[in-house]
Amino acid sequence: MHIMEGYLPLQWCIIWFVISIIVVAYGIYQVKKIVDETPESKALIAVSGAFMFVLSSLKLPSVTGSCSHPCGNGLGAALFGPAVTAVLATIVLLFQAILLAHGGLTTLGANIFSMGIVGPLIGWIVYKALTKGNISSTIAIFFAAFLGDLLTYVATSFQLALAFPSPSFGSALTKFLVIFAVTQVPLAIGEGILTVIIWDRLKAYKPKLLAKLNVLAPNEA
Amino acid sequence: MKFDMDYIAHNNKLTESNPYFKLFLTVFLLILTLALDNLYFDVFIFIAMSVVILAIAGINYKSYIKFLLIPMAFLVITCLFLVFFFGSGKVIYETGIFGIVVTTDSLHYGVYTFMRVLGCLPCLGFLALTTPIAKILHCLATLKIPKIVIEIALLMYNTIFIFLNEIDTMQKAQETRLGYHSYTNSFKSLGALTSTIFLRSLDKSETLQNSLDSRGYNGELPLYKPKKGVINHVRG
Repeated sequence: MHIMEGYLPLQWCIIWFVISIIVVAYGIYQVKKIVDETPESKALIAVSGAFMFVLSSLKLPSVTGSCSHPCGNGLGAALFGPAVTAVLATIVLLFQAILLAHGGLTTLGANIFSMGIVGPLIGWIVYKALTKGNISSTIAIFFAAFLGDLLTYVATSFQLALAFPSPSFGSALTKFLVIFAVTQVPLAIGEGILTVIIWDRLKAYKPKLLAKLNVLAPNEA
Repeated sequence: MKFDMDYIAHNNKLTESNPYFKLFLTVFLLILTLALDNLYFDVFIFIAMSVVILAIAGINYKSYIKFLLIPMAFLVITCLFLVFFFGSGKVIYETGIFGIVVTTDSLHYGVYTFMRVLGCLPCLGFLALTTPIAKILHCLATLKIPKIVIEIALLMYNTIFIFLNEIDTMQKAQETRLGYHSYTNSFKSLGALTSTIFLRSLDKSETLQNSLDSRGYNGELPLYKPKKGVINHVRG
């Protein structure tokens, strides 16, 4: 669940916007570089973005009955790196606000920060670390998707606790973490499994593209 | 449901009106509502924008309620949560269960947040329900948002609809074969569904990219903007 329109006070909207814009600007620069080098990856970038959008409107079979949904940011982060995923997440969140009334325009900055920056960054670091250690990219993508999803909700909890530090920041954080992050664990595992299935097919059908983007583990390439 | 808002945005009385005006009005009202943080103003803006959406844009009240319903459900839950589990200060109501109390502080948080969101939702609705995405993106392009972002956004917008069509077809096929009968089954079906869509859309997107390239696409989709008189002439 994204932070909805109007939920955050004005000063927090501005703070998150400023932080996000810096990262997204760097991401746009990266996108330009990738597209200049491999023009055919533009379609893949757009599809990854659309995939993020559709995943968040799908209902995963959930055990807890939680209202959360998958984020799909792990796959983008593993393929293109966190900066590009930040750009994708920006577009996805804008579409979600306008097409589905999911999230909002004033909270866009905060949502970009959690879904587009923190989640993908952690997912990408984990993915790179695991593939560098010669662990199969299939296992690495599971942890990238799992942690990318989970950390998104941890970041959301932080943001809400900062905006509503009552009675204290710590206790507010604990409460928000229990609601968002703990209920998200089974969904994050679900998303991990789903991403693995997609990754395997991608490896089977588009191995050249993956090799070109240089994302496979050294022993698989 | 997913197609509804896009369809409405293309078919209402304000679709053809100036998208810059709509975009700026929405952003201005949103910032104003947040900055004032005044309960009366929130109610005023809720009523004013609802009137604009229902009466001036001529949007069916059922669609509007549908638009409000999902965020509202989340809003009520989160605000109740704020009221009962947060805040310190003077206790004004004791539930008697696990020492859960309502304090002046938490009530303030809950009520103000609720009203703020209530005021902001119709502003978002005004933009979302009256302006097609392509027009918003065109606005953003002239406002110096880099071309590559707009290009990817347009490709993505296109792909989303491919995805949704494919999902619809495949999900029906899976359901008729009891694909979502049990928990493990639905997981298997969903996995098959998502990975197939991903690959199929990849192919379609590549085809699209190739067809655009072969027609001299350089990152800009020229948009035909008919003059108002022309439209009236054609319609009349």
